[in-house]
Amino acid sequence: MKDRAPRRSRAVIPAAVLALAVTACTAPPAGTEIDLTTTTAAPAGELDSVTWMLPSEPTSLDLDANGGTAQNTVLANVCERLMRVAPDLSIGPGLAEYAEWEDDDTVVFRLNPDAAFRDGAPITADDVVWSMERHSAEGAEESDEYTNVERIEATGEREVTVTMTQRDAVFVPAMAGNGGIVYDRRALEADGDAYGTPQGSDACTGPYRLAEWSSGSRVVLERDDAYWNPEKAANVARVEFRWAVENAVVNTLNTGESDGAYLDTASAAVPLLRDETVQVYQGPSTNVWSLITTERGGLADPRLRRALSLALERDGISRSAFGGLAEPWSTPLGPGGWGYERERFEEAYEALDAAPSDPGERELEEARALVEEAGAPEEPLVIANDGEPARTIIANATVDAAAKIGLEMRILTVPRQQFGSYYVDPELRAQVDLFSDEYWISKNDPVGFYKNGASDAGVNYSGFADEDYDRLVKEAQAATDDAERAELAVELQERWTEAMPWIPVVQVPTTLAMGPEVTGAPASSAFLFYPWAADLGAREDEGR
Amino acid sequence: MTAQSPTGAVTMGAGIRDVRRNGGRGALWVSSGFLVAVVLAALFAPVVAPADPNAIDFGNIWAPPGADHWLGTDQMGRDLLSRVVHGARESLLGPLALLVLASVLGVAMGTLAAWRRGWVDVLLARVTDVMYAFPGLLFVVLVIAVFGSGMTTAVIALGLAFTPIIAKFTRSVALAECSKPYIDAYRVQGVSGLVICLRYLIPNMAPALLGYLVVLFGEGLMSLATLSFLGFGAQPPSSEWGLMVQEGQSALIQGVLWPALVPGAAIALVVVAFNIVGVRVADRLNSRR
Repeated sequence: MKDRAPRRSRAVIPAAVLALAVTACTAPPAGTEIDLTTTTAAPAGELDSVTWMLPSEPTSLDLDANGGTAQNTVLANVCERLMRVAPDLSIGPGLAEYAEWEDDDTVVFRLNPDAAFRDGAPITADDVVWSMERHSAEGAEESDEYTNVERIEATGEREVTVTMTQRDAVFVPAMAGNGGIVYDRRALEADGDAYGTPQGSDACTGPYRLAEWSSGSRVVLERDDAYWNPEKAANVARVEFRWAVENAVVNTLNTGESDGAYLDTASAAVPLLRDETVQVYQGPSTNVWSLITTERGGLADPRLRRALSLALERDGISRSAFGGLAEPWSTPLGPGGWGYERERFEEAYEALDAAPSDPGERELEEARALVEEAGAPEEPLVIANDGEPARTIIANATVDAAAKIGLEMRILTVPRQQFGSYYVDPELRAQVDLFSDEYWISKNDPVGFYKNGASDAGVNYSGFADEDYDRLVKEAQAATDDAERAELAVELQERWTEAMPWIPVVQVPTTLAMGPEVTGAPASSAFLFYPWAADLGAREDEGR
Repeated sequence: MTAQSPTGAVTMGAGIRDVRRNGGRGALWVSSGFLVAVVLAALFAPVVAPADPNAIDFGNIWAPPGADHWLGTDQMGRDLLSRVVHGARESLLGPLALLVLASVLGVAMGTLAAWRRGWVDVLLARVTDVMYAFPGLLFVVLVIAVFGSGMTTAVIALGLAFTPIIAKFTRSVALAECSKPYIDAYRVQGVSGLVICLRYLIPNMAPALLGYLVVLFGEGLMSLATLSFLGFGAQPPSSEWGLMVQEGQSALIQGVLWPALVPGAAIALVVVAFNIVGVRVADRLNSRR
């Protein structure tokens, strides 16, 4: 599958910014483009080590406890899953040779007979059952993927049967995400409470093993020479992860202190494009920055949400916060999520009553009329912020948009470490009407996102409840025929867009930067789940 | 005459003393004139500023200084001159408020210690020593961690952090003042200690304290700007100068300097000006006594 953004096959960099490089801080427009690609050139040889930058230190290396970007970037290389997402975001076999629906509500995973843990012990059905039960436990990060699961059984030495309350077509793709990791139960139990901490082991199988986590300093992965799958053997013997704020990450790439990074903010790529020694790529992703409304209620009326959406300057946000490397977007899911019936999804997206990228007087008038009709809330609306540059710009632009249509809004800043708690802490959410975040899913299936709008979904905070929507979610999950599921997903998309429980802002492709000596890493958002470091290697056949 | 900043901000004392020795009268006038202009600009910001400081104009992101925007624009196309002028209000009122708080507490503690001596002096000295020894920035961050970020919390926290500095200075001045004959004379007449302190002692210490506070004002401004830079003080969309520098950071890696440079220069110039004026004011007031 060749993944490309639908309305824009290229990311255009505002000429103004690029001309700065030439004219030393004067304004400019002309344009440089980054072709969206899923992969980078295959390596010519092996390397002894690479240094890779993360946006922050992992908070835990137990993905059932915390599944943030930093830990996913590391553990994608260490912990294999039942299914595997490929650089083009398609789903294929992983530790399971195949997954098959036996009947309407039973899916069977057949394990690869060669699959083994680090000590050579074969991976058995019992290991899979134990791992799935851990993932599905209450409070586990991926437990929502198991909502429809009724029973997990080992029905053979290498066969696991999952019985569901209803067919869930998203379940198998979800097993390529963190919910499909198979743990080495012996290692994990030996670690006890230390698992996931700097003192713990990785308790998984994958092309790399966790060699060191020196808290505050680095995480080191070493190639597992006993890895069971020779086709996926790593070219780089040692990967050292370090972390820094975005500016410092840019400097490490410019100075050659690091070999690569998946950039947390696309705008950081703009200065790197001026450096001929740094390779910059963008690839498809499911990531979209959205304004997520909460139960506080200031935006409970969908007319107010729609009004705010109409007044939002998405194009300006893209240029200001993302250096023009993001795209104004009308749905909460990026095109990387259109893993089947792609043309149908593109067509449906084009047909949407799109959120304007640069609202004019007509949109503002329409928005003001909606506010007048619904009535402005008595108390000022509150948007959360944590000082992160992109989020601050989005917060300011939202306040500005609100003011233009007669809504009063203020910004509430919380510590950066606290921001993630908006997903789990109702008391914190009760203080704000909306918070902005970049949201992504591990599955290339829109149903995997739109199920979040069901009335009982964990992230449906605003109280959006629609019986027809709930019914459509169930039907879409049950539809194993791609064309049928696509139609249902399109209908869900239309209903979501109409009610807008989350207000989409911009779609952000994955942005990859690499130094001159390395190549091979995928450029798509697959890096969060796919063993990308195993694809790395020397750009020229010299090694290092 | 200068003091160590509770947040470790750079002090300007040595340089200022050199200026004073060299008869920096011109520097005094320039600094005074500059400060008057800044205060006036802050007072009349809505008139002086050419635009709404929070008006976003995405069509003018990072516009360089020019006829339309004298100091350029920031990453959201907001006029930097307007923001820095409006930001002067919060940037100047914050240090003023924290110094009022710190002065009330510090002068009271210092005067009480010098007046009562004995165990009260020892106790207050130990209290101020402990407060003095505790890293100021860490103390402020702890206070903010408990009570939440924001300008009010930052001002209160910094006010408490500045208190021991003022208390120590006040005690040293009060000790010298208490040894003067006029204090004994009031005591002999049966005037109560509270009245002597409030009506005679503190007013007589005022010149020395005033000069000291003017110098501390610059440091208070820098400390508050530091907190805002770290995200603990002023919050968006405020145009407080420290916050403006923080927001201008992202422009630096894009090769655009002015969003950080403009508020940074404003902080530096105002702090230097307050130091020059503070030192000269203290000299003059002391020489008249």
